[in-house]
Amino acid sequence: MLDVAGLNVRYGKSHVIFDLELHVAGGELLALLGRNGAGKTTTLMGIVGLLPGASGRVEVAGRDVSRWPAYRRARSGIAYVPSGARCFPNLTVVENLEIASADGEAGWNRERVFELFPKLEGLRGNLAGGLSGGERQMLAVGRALMSNPKVMLLDEPTEGLAPVVVHSLIELVGQLKQTGVAILLAEQNHQMALRVADRAAFMEKGMIAEQLPAAQARGSEVLNRILGI
Amino acid sequence: MSPGQLLLFAVGGLATAAYLFIVTAGLSLVFGALRIINMAHGSLYMIAAFVTVVVANRLGASFGFWTGLLLAVMLTGVIGAVIEILVLRRIYKEEHLVQLLGTYALSLVAAGAVRLFFGASYRTVRPPDIVSGSLNIGGFRYSGYAVFMIASAVLIAIGVYLLLYRTALGRNIRAAVSDPELLNVSGVNVSRLYTTVFVIGAGLAALGGAIVAPSQAVGASMDTDVLVLAFAISVIGGLGSIVGTAVGALIVGEVISFGLNNQYTNQFAIAFVFIIMAAVLTVRPWGLFGRPEQEL
Ligand SMILES: Nc1ncnc2c1ncn2[C@@H]1O[C@H](COP(=O)(O)OP(=O)(O)OP(=O)(O)O)[C@@H](O)[C@H]1O
Ligand SMILES: [Mg+2]
Repeated sequence: MLDVAGLNVRYGKSHVIFDLELHVAGGELLALLGRNGAGKTTTLMGIVGLLPGASGRVEVAGRDVSRWPAYRRARSGIAYVPSGARCFPNLTVVENLEIASADGEAGWNRERVFELFPKLEGLRGNLAGGLSGGERQMLAVGRALMSNPKVMLLDEPTEGLAPVVVHSLIELVGQLKQTGVAILLAEQNHQMALRVADRAAFMEKGMIAEQLPAAQARGSEVLNRILGI
Repeated sequence: MSPGQLLLFAVGGLATAAYLFIVTAGLSLVFGALRIINMAHGSLYMIAAFVTVVVANRLGASFGFWTGLLLAVMLTGVIGAVIEILVLRRIYKEEHLVQLLGTYALSLVAAGAVRLFFGASYRTVRPPDIVSGSLNIGGFRYSGYAVFMIASAVLIAIGVYLLLYRTALGRNIRAAVSDPELLNVSGVNVSRLYTTVFVIGAGLAALGGAIVAPSQAVGASMDTDVLVLAFAISVIGGLGSIVGTAVGALIVGEVISFGLNNQYTNQFAIAFVFIIMAAVLTVRPWGLFGRPEQEL
């Protein structure tokens, strides 16, 4: 569903991502793991089309979107949930959801997002800026679902959340696979990510050093070697 | 001062506030979404005023004004689109000073063009027939055109509010104010949205210029005259806030009206505006209804 090949990213003169290759099938969850500064966020931003210094091939459901600006890639089926539970703080919960709304096979709409996150329904008229960190992260995921994406890219969705919230959020991301969406999950919290991932890609210095099935990655020496655990 | 006089001056102040609100709303909208302080905003207003006067005088008082207004808004909208696409897109990422200089350069170009096309002499136009009469209340004569200006501003304020808070376009504009990058990855063409916002801002400048034309002499210094007041209003009300713009315009309009209509203060009427501006800057640098910079 998501096929990335030969992705290179430069910030001005510094070369940060090197010939990166990634494939995520529909219904599959690939965990992108790596230490601080390994290049996880840069990889995701390169795939969504936010970095002018990115080159390489990005395909969504077989369609080459590499030459498209970010908004067209989004419309082609990529939903990006940036780190920090980013929402439009001056818009209401409902407006935050509606802004990304697009029709699609998965049939996500406002009602279904509220079924998934009942807490958000009670806050529908509130400004997103007034929500708690956990609520904003739900809203950010809900907003991504509203676009009925083929591919979801999540950047550290568990960062800064209470353990209980982390748990339910990760479970939920795991369940989203069943809708057929391809998920790329960048995480520092490797334990949580590996609970729901099918495969794991370990990043180091802008390259993928190792790719393993999640079952094999749990407790493997790779965790120690690359993540330093 | 008698109550009748008070009312007369207050209405005069409202009429001044009316066109200042329309113009400043455009400046504020553009700043809120594009983070650009458009030094050429007054130029768009001036061009629209000249176009309105010329067309209105050519076609006659009843029909000509409305045609002139329409043409002025359309022409200014097109100029706005060209400016956004050719100039502003290149300077969004630059620092504030470069942006100021860039739009200031545009205002100089516009001033030159206006002198070339319309000359340096003042022009006037009569108000269109339907609103050219006057009302006699309690022995005082109120100009029908002042009432028209006030009504226009109220309608435009309602229109801007409905646009911003009741349409998808308005929701996207508000989203662009807080996080254009997130808006982009949500599937909205932010470049095109910016052009639209700038065209709406230019259109508001043009409406202000067209509407003010029958109420004062139209000349080549209108651009800076209005820009200075629009800045004062923005500072008082808070740049980027529509409610703040309305309150700021009311304060400035009334201060000017009462200042001008008092024999002891009429020389300093404009100075009072800047004293208030300085006071607001000292106490609340982000304006009465604005927000501190770091939140933006
Ligand atoms: N805007 C930028 N300009 C220059 N270099 C950058 C920029 N953003 C990131 N980098 C560099 O690119 C590399 C990868 O950073 P990136 O943010 O992608 O890592 P990350 O894996 O997401 O880290 P973290 O886990 O801390 O979020 C780092 O060396 C970083 O210093
Ligand atoms: Mg990161």
